[in-house]
Amino acid sequence: MTFPFWMLIVVLAVAALSIRVLGLFAGDAIKSSQYSWVLDDLPGLIVVSLVASSLAGQSVETWIAAGIALVVAYLSNHVILTMCVGVAVYGGLVWVGF
Amino acid sequence: MLSHKADFDSLIYHRTVLNWLFMKHGAVAILPLAAGAALYGFAFGLLAAQVGFPWWGVALMSGVVHAGSSQIVAVEQFAGTSAVVGAALAGAALNLRYIGIVASLSDVLSGLSLRMKLLAIHITGDENWALTMTERAKNPAIRASFLIGSGLVMITVWTISTTLGAVAGATLPNLEQFGLGFAFTAAFIAMARGLWRGAPNLLPWAMSFAITVCAVTVGAPKAYAIVAGAVCGLVISHFHRTKKERVA
Repeated sequence: MTFPFWMLIVVLAVAALSIRVLGLFAGDAIKSSQYSWVLDDLPGLIVVSLVASSLAGQSVETWIAAGIALVVAYLSNHVILTMCVGVAVYGGLVWVGF
Repeated sequence: MLSHKADFDSLIYHRTVLNWLFMKHGAVAILPLAAGAALYGFAFGLLAAQVGFPWWGVALMSGVVHAGSSQIVAVEQFAGTSAVVGAALAGAALNLRYIGIVASLSDVLSGLSLRMKLLAIHITGDENWALTMTERAKNPAIRASFLIGSGLVMITVWTISTTLGAVAGATLPNLEQFGLGFAFTAAFIAMARGLWRGAPNLLPWAMSFAITVCAVTVGAPKAYAIVAGAVCGLVISHFHRTKKERVA
């Protein structure tokens, strides 16, 4: 394992622990401040941005599979089911050479 | 004097037994959720192995980071750009919700030593946190031992499943063509559904989506595009709230 791999693990571990410790010591203060809405809104915005970054510049079948996954997610609100259906649809579309 | 000591010993004994019972209760109650995480972890291990992580590197990362979605995002970004800071930033940004999650545990963790608190927050994940809060709403006697019992199961299952995925992934061909990469896009779509809080989210989310797509399309690294998209969404959300307060 080369240096960048080690660095990624170390930086990610330090960041993850720091965020948790911040929550332990300062979380109450942030939650009770006028900026508490940021903690509510940020997770959803990050996840939406993640989905957007995965779809940007991708093929039509990827966008179709994402649309179907969105419908499944909306109806089921189940991560594993959405993941399985999404992969099956994507794999199927690629297989038939859509 | 002897009687007082016996009473004290008895109290300590009963408290210890109670803690063990809550820990066992947490460990058993989390099992269905742990099964789902194992599937997710196995898929992550496959992806990490394809990026170039050895199985022991995946095990090390899962044990010391213990943040599923952050690990996935960081490794995905790392695979695309090899930019350590950008990848870690994207992963850490996704983990910011833990400030609120850990803050909400202040009552549960009260009375623990700092060392035990650090252990408890390290093994706290979305699943065992949510389960602890749900159980505590039903039974206020639920304590940190429930969180710790369920958390120990989750981190163990996560580490083993990601390691097994990495071992399998090293022997398999490139799984991206079979849709493995899309598995996480689908998982994040489902996570977004879980975080959807109705109409007030619509405009900020649409702005985040549009800005991120535009940023990636013009060639920005994905990690920075994600941060830009999320920040723009926050700005829209802030304006929306300010406008709403003025009207009120």
